[in-house]
Amino acid sequence: MSLQAIFQRTQRGFRHDLRLHAVAVVSLIVAFLCLGTALLGIENLSRVADRWSETQHLTVYLRADASAEAVAQLRSSLTNLREVSKVELVSAAQAREQFLQQTSVSAEPSVLGDDVFPASLEIDLSSRLPTDRLDKLVQGISQFAAAEEIETYRTFIGQFHTLLQAGRTGAWVLSLLVLICVLAVIGNTIRLAVLNRKDEIEVLKLCGATDSFVRSPFLVEGVLQAVTSASLAMVLLLFAYLLMRGRVETTLTTFTGVSSVFLSPITVACVIAAAGALGGLGSALSLRRYLKV
Amino acid sequence: MTDLPSGSEAPGSRRSIIRKKHDESAPNLKPILVMEEVYKYFRRDIPTLRNVNLTVHRGEFVFVTGPSGSGKSTLLQLIYRQHTVDSGRILFSGRDISRLTDKSIPFLRRNLGIVFQDFKVVPHWTVFENVSVALDIIGAPARVLRVRVSEALERVGLAGRGNDRTGALSGGEQQRVAIARAIVTDPALLLADEPTGNLDPQLAIDILTLFQEIHESGTTVLFATHDHSLLQSAPHRLVVIDEGRVIEASQGIRAWSARTTTATTSTGSSTDAAAETGT
Repeated sequence: MSLQAIFQRTQRGFRHDLRLHAVAVVSLIVAFLCLGTALLGIENLSRVADRWSETQHLTVYLRADASAEAVAQLRSSLTNLREVSKVELVSAAQAREQFLQQTSVSAEPSVLGDDVFPASLEIDLSSRLPTDRLDKLVQGISQFAAAEEIETYRTFIGQFHTLLQAGRTGAWVLSLLVLICVLAVIGNTIRLAVLNRKDEIEVLKLCGATDSFVRSPFLVEGVLQAVTSASLAMVLLLFAYLLMRGRVETTLTTFTGVSSVFLSPITVACVIAAAGALGGLGSALSLRRYLKV
Repeated sequence: MTDLPSGSEAPGSRRSIIRKKHDESAPNLKPILVMEEVYKYFRRDIPTLRNVNLTVHRGEFVFVTGPSGSGKSTLLQLIYRQHTVDSGRILFSGRDISRLTDKSIPFLRRNLGIVFQDFKVVPHWTVFENVSVALDIIGAPARVLRVRVSEALERVGLAGRGNDRTGALSGGEQQRVAIARAIVTDPALLLADEPTGNLDPQLAIDILTLFQEIHESGTTVLFATHDHSLLQSAPHRLVVIDEGRVIEASQGIRAWSARTTTATTSTGSSTDAAAETGT
């Protein structure tokens, strides 16, 4: 039984049940679009988490009544520390200015008072510090009278990681749902195709066709359906991504500090390959149940 | 039994069309089909076939006849293993087909050509596809397939109709497509189960003539029918099945005819004549 013959018979099957297969492909595209969107979200959230985890940064908010001398003393002490690579003073006015620039607030700037934002020292660390050393550093800084509050961003990053983990779990659950959906859609499509081609199957059996000869085109139909659906879903997702990126990329980059990316070619290839395997499995299960040869 | 058509030949050869005329008066005495004490039950108390003993030699044309429900179709179905015997044995080319495993049945059927009353063609396929499927199954190369399909279509009078959609053909033409599919692999035995049952009398005669032409080229034919006019039109061996029993030869046909004469007097005597000639 040559591959060419199998594909010819598969093509004939597609032609015969064109509407049935078209409906199945549309359903599967929706399923794979959901999965692709979830994967895209996880991919980009992971990038943000990685970027933020790598940030070796502290912000020391200064008391409003801190004297210039106290601030200078704190700044000097910090600069002399081995762990600190850079210390920058951001005054309340500069903080306000940065906020207005980054958020593009269209309202009258004078609405925001000069002292809305506290002055701060932005500290870049020379390397990522272990938790105990970071705690010790924070404790040391808090001894200075000028320091009111120290932001290490650890809580925020921790919360973000929790959120990301929840997202990943959600993606797994979605993958499971997509798996069930693909098996059900392909299984039912093949079942209907078998019913539609009952006469054809009978003729094949009477002419001496083996089980594998009768089953092979249905199996290929299932695989092709899933691969086609997954490929089209990836193409649609790419178009949607490019369309969205043009509109929201600047804002996203401003807030997250990283630019968005599409799914890697390996991820796309894996989704399509997994779809093919699922398609084969779905049709095999259906044939086993509904095609007695 | 082989996986390939028994008449495999060089591609493009015309041997399968033009064969030496078969002389039925001197048949090859080697039996192709032997049924020994075959019983088949569909109901526990009433056997559909009982103690059937039948031998068909290579190159024979055998009519199998009997009233509706007598067991003609069942007899053929046992040969192509649609059903299995409940007792007894059926030897095809010397092998007991009742012992075949399910996986071996396709290989038995590849050595048989089967034609049905309801044609069993796929209407949305082309004529070519319907005929070539039998060769597809045995894995014939594309070139051989094309040559042999066109030969088969020529033999059944459908040359040049390969691209027509089968569902658009008349009943007689569809039956010719089915016959072409049955003979395209050059089978050892051609089984015909009431192949003229859905056709008008003139078409029925045409189809029988076609079977006779196929038989003359050397194919063994087992032709089940209850159409008396066909039986009288062709002087072949006649096997009657009545209430599940095979009654061979003139004795049998007389007994059966006696019953049917009340309904069709003239037909009864003509089938007798046919039986005499055939035995």
